[in-house]
Amino acid sequence: MMLTPPFNLHHPTTVDEACALAARLLEEGRPFDWVAGGTDLLPNYKWHIETKPDVISLARIEGLDAIETDRIGCMVRLHDLAISEVAHPLIATAASKVASSLIRRSATLGGNLCLDTRCFWFNQSEDWRRSIDWCHKADCGSGAECRVIPNQNTLCVATYQGDLAPSLLVLNATVELIGPSGARTLPLRDFFQLDGITRNVLKPGEFLLMVHLPEDAAKRRGAYRKLRVRESWDFPEAGVAASWVPGDVSSLRLASTGLESIPGVHDALVADHGDWTLPEGRRELAEAVKGAVKPVNNTALPPRYRKAMVSVLAARAMGDLMEEV
Amino acid sequence: MSTGYRQQPGSTGEATRTDGKRVAGKLRFQPPGSGGSKPVASPRDLDAIPESVGGREPQPAGHHVHDGLRTGTSVGRPTALVDANAKVTGQAWYGDDVRLANEVIGRILRSPHHYARIRSIDTSAAEAMPGVLAIATGEDAPDTFGVLPVTKDEHAMAVEKVRHVGDLVACVAAVDEATAMEAMNAIVVDYEVLNPEFDPRKGLEDVDEPIHWRGKYHVGKTNVQKRVHQAFGDRSAIDHAAATSRRAWRFEGVHHGFTEPHAVVAHWDANGRLQLYTPQQVPHYTHRALATVLKVPMHQINVIRTFVGGGFGGKSDPFPHEMCAAILARKCGRPVRITFDREEVYWINRGRHPSYIEVKLDADKDGRIAGLDVDALIDGGAFASFGHVTSYYNGVLATAPYELGSFHYTGARVWTNKPASGAMRGHGAVNTRCAVEVGLDDIAEQLSVDPISLRLANLLPPHSRTISGFRITSNGMREALRRVKEESGWDQKFRRMPLGKGIGIGCGFFISGSGLPIHWDPNRFPHATVHLQIDMDGGVTVHTGAADIGQGSTTAVAQVVSEVLGLPLEMIHVRSHESDTSPVDLGSYSSRVTFMNCNAAIRAAMEVREQLLDAAWDMLGYHPSTLVLVDRRIVYKHDPSISVSYLEALHKAQEDKGALIARGAYRSPPMGGVHKGAAAGLAPAYSFSAYVAEVDVDIETGLVKCTRVWAAHDCGKALNPLAVEGQIIGSCHMGLGQVLSERMVYGRTGHLQNANLLQYQIPSVHEMPHVTPIIVESSDPEGPFGAKEAGEGPLLPVLPAVCNAVYDAIGVRPSSLPLTPDVVWSDIQKRMKAEGVADPLDLTSPRLVHGPLQASLDERAAEHAGRDSARQRTDDTSPYVNGVLFGFDPERPLEEQAMGWASIDDPDPAKMAEMGYAGRAWLLKEQRHMGGDE
Ligand SMILES: Cc1cc2nc3c(=O)[nH]c(=O)nc-3n(C[C@H](O)[C@H](O)[C@H](O)COP(=O)(O)OP(=O)(O)OC[C@H]3O[C@@H](n4cnc5c(N)ncnc54)[C@H](O)[C@@H]3O)c2cc1C
Ligand code: SF4
Repeated sequence: MMLTPPFNLHHPTTVDEACALAARLLEEGRPFDWVAGGTDLLPNYKWHIETKPDVISLARIEGLDAIETDRIGCMVRLHDLAISEVAHPLIATAASKVASSLIRRSATLGGNLCLDTRCFWFNQSEDWRRSIDWCHKADCGSGAECRVIPNQNTLCVATYQGDLAPSLLVLNATVELIGPSGARTLPLRDFFQLDGITRNVLKPGEFLLMVHLPEDAAKRRGAYRKLRVRESWDFPEAGVAASWVPGDVSSLRLASTGLESIPGVHDALVADHGDWTLPEGRRELAEAVKGAVKPVNNTALPPRYRKAMVSVLAARAMGDLMEEV
Repeated sequence: MSTGYRQQPGSTGEATRTDGKRVAGKLRFQPPGSGGSKPVASPRDLDAIPESVGGREPQPAGHHVHDGLRTGTSVGRPTALVDANAKVTGQAWYGDDVRLANEVIGRILRSPHHYARIRSIDTSAAEAMPGVLAIATGEDAPDTFGVLPVTKDEHAMAVEKVRHVGDLVACVAAVDEATAMEAMNAIVVDYEVLNPEFDPRKGLEDVDEPIHWRGKYHVGKTNVQKRVHQAFGDRSAIDHAAATSRRAWRFEGVHHGFTEPHAVVAHWDANGRLQLYTPQQVPHYTHRALATVLKVPMHQINVIRTFVGGGFGGKSDPFPHEMCAAILARKCGRPVRITFDREEVYWINRGRHPSYIEVKLDADKDGRIAGLDVDALIDGGAFASFGHVTSYYNGVLATAPYELGSFHYTGARVWTNKPASGAMRGHGAVNTRCAVEVGLDDIAEQLSVDPISLRLANLLPPHSRTISGFRITSNGMREALRRVKEESGWDQKFRRMPLGKGIGIGCGFFISGSGLPIHWDPNRFPHATVHLQIDMDGGVTVHTGAADIGQGSTTAVAQVVSEVLGLPLEMIHVRSHESDTSPVDLGSYSSRVTFMNCNAAIRAAMEVREQLLDAAWDMLGYHPSTLVLVDRRIVYKHDPSISVSYLEALHKAQEDKGALIARGAYRSPPMGGVHKGAAAGLAPAYSFSAYVAEVDVDIETGLVKCTRVWAAHDCGKALNPLAVEGQIIGSCHMGLGQVLSERMVYGRTGHLQNANLLQYQIPSVHEMPHVTPIIVESSDPEGPFGAKEAGEGPLLPVLPAVCNAVYDAIGVRPSSLPLTPDVVWSDIQKRMKAEGVADPLDLTSPRLVHGPLQASLDERAAEHAGRDSARQRTDDTSPYVNGVLFGFDPERPLEEQAMGWASIDDPDPAKMAEMGYAGRAWLLKEQRHMGGDE
């Protein structure tokens, strides 16, 4: 049987308490993880991946599970998001495509954005990883190299496979982070960091408190296309979200997931290409998005195929936008 | 007034339900002791009594030997499995549910290397840890074992070498799991790493260190474990082939994916006997292997089969962890429990072999199958397991349901440094079947005929013999094809649907019980034995060794006993868990249980029935031939008011001897030819099936979705139609997994990359199509009440039906499984390139314009339909052997009639090497022919 190593589970009930607790653990040099729904963290713990002696749960902090049109708390469960009438329909749709109905009952928005990157050399049991002599991301002190792109000991290219990020990106969401040194807000696109290990800009002790949406988000129509083999459980092998303010061709935004260590933002390509509302323009733009991503071989389907599918998904997502007008 | 009595606390009052179902906690019995005190018998349900004995149940195939035993009680009625209540209420005790006083936890240390020599193992640090009670290594059990007596190549733990990542190295018993794991990690093993091999194609090459060594029988210095060859028929017809289909396939390995991981508890009791609890399909072989490895006589071991949470072939080998638990328990004097995590389940594997299969089909100008050539190279992984048999099955189970002009098979199984392959539902037949059925579709297309017509015009009839000498008895193939064609609306859909939508056909053929008991001569011991016992209370206890693995074998046994004795199912109690009390049974594999075990049970029940009828004769004065059994009464046929209750008759029968005890056994009839490997694939009966599948293919992404399946299976007689339908639907799900998404992914370093249920992609409920199960009943003359298997055969046709539907949808014919979207997509890209099409949406899907052959095939099929129904009813009992379609006289040996008719044991290596990888294995020499053993 797989045994999760023991850890101290802390249950702060306010944000302040959580920050104070984090500060104290940091001071004492005790490494810890945040846990929200646990659907990502705990499977990794079962596999003995980077387990920590302390875990702080955000579950009992009040007020983090509110859904409003302009903001969504980090502890909102994806199930609630998927059936919400308040949340932007694009976010609800994207949430409904995550994992399975059972998992969505626990899974949270914050956990989805802070999702650990994935790789089939890494999401494995301890015995398994020992059999490949570890890898750079969790090298257990061995100095092992990356198994996907060897001969470079600086970067992990594990894949970010969260489903919600691209939809939030095309709605221009910002995230509010909070920690012992206070709160800060930044655009979601600046939240992610191109490194499979650090993943994002969260500083030690900081956590993601809230997602904010700009006013214009409500005017936007969106679409999200996800590539997966099974309609349940499977992480996105590629995903493309698109949104626009209906009628305004230049307002198109595109973002992708499941292809690199961070979600991709492709807005810049829109300006460089012709009218995407016409099939030809759409195809060109979709090809351009495909050209902008560099998937590697560490998920279920081969990178060549996933890359090729980006243009199909992008074209279809844009097509979906057109249909809704 | 209430006639019921309290069965369980809380259930009081009248058992009233209008829907005929039972109120929970209520049995349909009168107060205790009665067992049927109603003075008059309820009338027999004539709808459940066969025509031939005066009932109204239709019998298109005519009289069956068991007709006279029918009481209309259980057989043919949709019946909830008798252990269903235990399962839905959580009372079923699976492997890991067993809890014994004082038990401790065992863990297994596994190899981190693919292939290595063990220089030393230092367990001292682990032993010194508090809470560690015992440690064992390969030295503790040097004897080998294996499911087949001819290939015992496994140890409880590695001796000398480890052969795959996850191979067992040592085991630890400790007070809890955390301590056991810590101790495990404290064991220091010094390995000398050897060169591993993962590619089965390289298994034919000489290497420094073959994975096993077979002495003088070793093939060169290669990793070939077994090679087989068979050839029959007249090869000359191939030279004038009107159509030829030749395809080289690649099938990835798949795993059973059962719900319950392996778990075992071993306990040496106060008298020093081993009590071993394990979810086994084949407890008897475990029993034997334990005796060998532990060096104790079999009678000092009691193997207790727990409930089995799914097996599908994956729990039918004796397993090393079963030995480990017993060894640890013996060392520490306390019960030891070992429960696998999912990853360990993949390490022990025994799934379907990854295979390279080449199939060549030749059809002559009359649309007859002049030649079927199969070459199968199968990847056995690190151990033999059932592989010896698998090597044969990959070829010989393709010799029906079609009549063949010639058949040629070369097969080889090689060792690689991967977890061992073994038996899995549809053992050995699935991959080749897929390749053959897809090949037939190709042939039909080349001949411009409908593929169902092609099949209907080439079927072997009932009561015939295959080219390899298998005796075919009942055969519902034609009926199955007819039904799926009709119900699917085939003629309106095939080659007529728009791009991306397709429909396809596939057939199947499978053994209903292996004719040869692996461990003994069938002439010396029966395949199955059943004991019946009835004491004063009137309840019937059935002792059987048949292992219910969820397929419902316990229910089937209870049903046939209930049927023969005219007793409600609730009065039949099946005891099958312990080897101490159950007669030896070969276990649940090769789809043998219903056929063999129910036959044995019927015989035992007949013996009891006779005693009861004799007693009634005494009491009523009417001869047994004029008495019938109805619900708990024995009645004079011609005047139902003359009767005795079952209990009265029973007590009369018990007067002088006490409890009634009876025994029944089953032995298969002598069958088969004399050529090498003639026994492989022999079965007392065979099942047949035909499926039609409909798919949607996303032409841009290559995603295949199976939307509908019409699944017709000939199970002889559905003893329990509910269970048969369940097997058909379940088989569809499992087969779809293999055709759409399941595969064991061995990456570039040879590691199994997806040893978990997230990445090993078993279809979810969303991927499950709507399945219409169609039961075909051909009434097998030797089957219990006519029944044949329904557990494995129904899996076979799904794969080719989907592949053929994909071709119908997008004009791309698969040659590897699974059809993951990337694979289909690159096939689509290839087609686009070949046709110079830029946008996949501009592709066209294939169309069919019937050629001149179509009419003659239809004519032949119509003629054969008449022939078959006469033979089925045994109106026509003339001999029929494969070859009659080609003009041969069934009364004379074929060798005399055709120049070059072959039935070869001595192959010509050069010829065989033409075909494929396995054929090339015959170019190699065994050590004994190379000038001595090394
Ligand atoms: C079988 C299975 C299938 C899945 N399929 C999908 C899928 O299709 N698509 C998909 O997107 N995901 C999938 N997931 C992953 C996961 O379920 C979801 O991403 C989920 O939203 C994660 O949320 P959580 O609250 O459970 O995260 P947790 O496991 O609690 O946390 C995940 C990570 O984020 C950190 N974290 C959590 N909350 C915060 C916060 N507020 N601030 C800072 N850090 C935080 C944790 O420390 C941890 O590192 C799947 C998981 C499983 C087990
Ligand atoms: S991408 Fe490289 S470093 Fe990162 S998890 Fe995979 S193998 Fe390890």
